[in-house]
Amino acid sequence: MIGPTASLSHLHRADGSASYKCPATGYNILGAVNAPVELPGRRDALKPEEATVEVFVKPGTTTAGVGERYVEGLLRSVLGKVVLGREKGFPRRGVVLTLAIVGGENIERGDSYLTVFPALLHAGLLSMISASVPLSMTFSATLLGVTKSGDIVRDPSPAAAKAAVSLHVFAISSKNHLLLNESEGRFDFDTWELARQNAVTICQGSSKGSDGDVNMEEEKNASGNGFIRETVEDQIYSDYVYKLDSI
Amino acid sequence: MKGQPLPEATASLFTANPPRTPIGPGTGPTPLPMRSIRPPSAEPPKKVAKFAAPRGEGTAKMSKEAQLSIAERDFILEALRENVRVDGRQPNEFRPVDISFGEEYGHVKLQLGKTSLVVRISAEVTKPRDERPFDGLFNINLELTSMGSPAWENGRSNDLEASATNTLDRVIRHSNALDTESLCIIKGVSCWSIRADVHVLDYDGNLTDAACIAIMTGLQHFRRPDAVVKDGRVIVYGVEERVPVALNITHKPLSITFHTFNESKNVIMDASLKEEQASEGDLIIGLNSAGELCYVSKMEGGPVDPMLIVNQVSKAWEKAKELNIVIESVLRADLTKRAKAGMADESRAENDRLMATE
Repeated sequence: MIGPTASLSHLHRADGSASYKCPATGYNILGAVNAPVELPGRRDALKPEEATVEVFVKPGTTTAGVGERYVEGLLRSVLGKVVLGREKGFPRRGVVLTLAIVGGENIERGDSYLTVFPALLHAGLLSMISASVPLSMTFSATLLGVTKSGDIVRDPSPAAAKAAVSLHVFAISSKNHLLLNESEGRFDFDTWELARQNAVTICQGSSKGSDGDVNMEEEKNASGNGFIRETVEDQIYSDYVYKLDSI
Repeated sequence: MKGQPLPEATASLFTANPPRTPIGPGTGPTPLPMRSIRPPSAEPPKKVAKFAAPRGEGTAKMSKEAQLSIAERDFILEALRENVRVDGRQPNEFRPVDISFGEEYGHVKLQLGKTSLVVRISAEVTKPRDERPFDGLFNINLELTSMGSPAWENGRSNDLEASATNTLDRVIRHSNALDTESLCIIKGVSCWSIRADVHVLDYDGNLTDAACIAIMTGLQHFRRPDAVVKDGRVIVYGVEERVPVALNITHKPLSITFHTFNESKNVIMDASLKEEQASEGDLIIGLNSAGELCYVSKMEGGPVDPMLIVNQVSKAWEKAKELNIVIESVLRADLTKRAKAGMADESRAENDRLMATE
């Protein structure tokens, strides 16, 4: 399976930006974060001691509709918890995240938005990191589809997702906790538990063998969290390459 | 029909805002260009963070692009007086244009200096409008998000969005660059609706020209699925089943934006954001490679000499021809690349096309 690709900080105007491409589902997401910004409207009446996280999802070939609003709400609630909005300079300010779906199939009205959700989560997180927004943790997400025969498929394509009985999106934090769970369709609790275990393995990676030994064969990139970590490591390496050269 | 000057074009020529202060030789102390008029009490703008609305405008409901400092403005103007641009370009020189294509047809990424945008063209079958049963639909959609510039608010339109959308509409849509009649499938029942979505990723001036080049490239690059009418039913063939069809482009108009400085003594093409902010007025000319003018607008700012417009039209023509050659060469390169890849796909032994259509 071809892993996703991502790059950080390639836009000039935004404070932080990231592009994330998932070959399995075909989505290509561009994310940009501006933070901390002065919110023009007085929108801080609710929680003046914290930063307000705003999320905007721009679909590739349609105008934004109900699906985008729904997924924006989910993203806002997850990222609002992850962003440390009480750090210096952040209270009463805004963290504005813009996500543009620049590649991949268009999500028709009425189709599930969960197929693109993990890609949006990853692009959003990487943009936040690129903008140096203080975060309490990182996370990685995965989409799992349960087929009619009961098999659990990782990152199903839009066509396969349509045929699936149920769809599950899990976000697992870097501390191995379940951060988000969104499910659609018909499923029982056993299926969900199976899917959750699958998601934990996908996101965390099984770096420890059954006998407690670290598996040296397995590459770190195979896990979702490892992928996020490596993308950021690569970016930092290229940012500080001038220092390495001078040593 | 093509290239016919629109009534608006002439109208907008003459309805340009009359100058508030007479500008010209012998009118006492040289008045400042209109844009740089500041209230005398205003202290020099402090260094404001790029995202923050300037202080003192406490009631401001909209974010604004950070203002140019006086020193920067003077530097740009003074340099132009000596016929030098800040980035070393000639007055009629564009920043390097870099056009690349995505995997799908009609997915164009354009980089014009630091201005960068993505255009996606898409097609779907819809019902034509009642008053125009023979015409398909074509829409250009430009929505500015805070990705392009922190001064743009998500989900709220601003002046630039309105004016850029209007210009693109006039230059491309209203000049019939895309033949909408060829999009008709069944009269009054079904037609193709073509949509161009512009995503601005980075804004560093001259959004209109960049978007115009990208949309025109996208329209020429795009292939819509083939549709056939059989027994009164429309059958749309997938891209795998039938060779997709190119759109019918009648002519290739491009917009060329000029900015004027120093009482319109200096006129430059493709201004960067800082040059735009320092300018006193703009002039947009839309025309195709044949030199047929389809849009002229003197939207805002100080007045210009009518002869200047005539001169700039010929310069814009040269530039439009040049840009169209660039577009054609990148299109040709991409299509030959695709043809090769397509041939390689077809001569492969594995049969994965069945899998794809399951």
